[in-house]
Amino acid sequence: MRSVRGLLGSRAALFAAVGIAAVGIAVGLIVASVVGSGGKKVAPTPETSISSPTSPAPGDTVNGAAATKALFRGIPQRLNVLGNPKAPVTMIEFADLQCPFCRDFALDALPAIVRDYVRPGKIKLVFAGIAFIGPDSETALRATYAAGLQDSLWNFLDLLYRNQGAENSGWVTEGLLRAVGNSIAGLDVDPLLAARQTAEVDNALLATNRQATSAHVNATPTFFAGRTGATLQRISVSDLRPQAFRPTLDALLQ
Amino acid sequence: MSERTLRAAIAVLALAGAAVAAYLVYARYTGTRLACTTGGCKTVQHSKYAKAAGIPIAVLGLSAYLAVFTTALSARLEAAALGAAIVLGGLAFGIYLIVIQVAVIDAICQWCLASDGILAVLAVVSAQRLRRAAGIPQDTSARPLMAEKG
Repeated sequence: MRSVRGLLGSRAALFAAVGIAAVGIAVGLIVASVVGSGGKKVAPTPETSISSPTSPAPGDTVNGAAATKALFRGIPQRLNVLGNPKAPVTMIEFADLQCPFCRDFALDALPAIVRDYVRPGKIKLVFAGIAFIGPDSETALRATYAAGLQDSLWNFLDLLYRNQGAENSGWVTEGLLRAVGNSIAGLDVDPLLAARQTAEVDNALLATNRQATSAHVNATPTFFAGRTGATLQRISVSDLRPQAFRPTLDALLQ
Repeated sequence: MSERTLRAAIAVLALAGAAVAAYLVYARYTGTRLACTTGGCKTVQHSKYAKAAGIPIAVLGLSAYLAVFTTALSARLEAAALGAAIVLGGLAFGIYLIVIQVAVIDAICQWCLASDGILAVLAVVSAQRLRRAAGIPQDTSARPLMAEKG
């Protein structure tokens, strides 16, 4: 058998062959990575934009993915906490994922709060999910907390609100959860779905329920805020627009 | 630096890279929480970009580092060429993954960066080894004589 040098003839040819092999390895890996991570977008037809319990196929994504991504892009997330962990002010939201007012807060007030307070590191937001409206609440909540184990809870939550269906209509399907997961860059859907029934998620649900009971939370959304590390106080808001929160948050930041 | 020293350096670097990859493989399959000062290791490791053709990239990395280590055990030119091709291909893929971490996932995994750093040094050493392995016979043959003539 002839040697490599014999086959290639010259040093330049050898280097070229090594270079081509290296490029081949890199391109092969990139193609395998891209193909493996791909998912197709659900066409925004009227049928899919109406919140119905139709199950998207595996690999599908949901509406609102780009807006959610832009909203949270670059902001640190850790479990159920959004924002700088050392932010001077903490705000907790108790919410049920089926609650339409929680959805209103997420879509109407949250973007401005994130832009003006969370992104600059002034406040951190803590999500406290409770499931009191019905079975779909717990199904959605478990998946949301499971997304928190991959530090993507706020993206998952926001996308579920954007695709919220009628209360207890069975809208929180496996297909929807999978499609929401597929819509979040960096989220691995299978481990998320597998984590929904784990002790970590069970404990998160129990802990939040205990917190809600001791804080006398009997409606959603309910907000508490205060200096980080101090006792948080319930915030009374007249409506769910960003300006309703500003006086409290600005006062706490003084 | 002698050919033997270059091979020893490649072997040590490949083992260091294999250790990093082995840690990621271990954490992935046992569910162990990764030590992480950049805060994004778990996000990156659980992202859909953490696999190629269904195989976790940490597993591919571990295999590649072990293959490079094996090539360092042989003084043959073929081994130098194969090792360099694996390292350079891996480095290019590593750079692509850094872009994905920054631009798409919005999270940085320190272990991936450590692996990329090892790959970058390995690339320099492997290229040097290949250059030397390919060059020594030519230096002792006709080329210097021809140069003297000119």
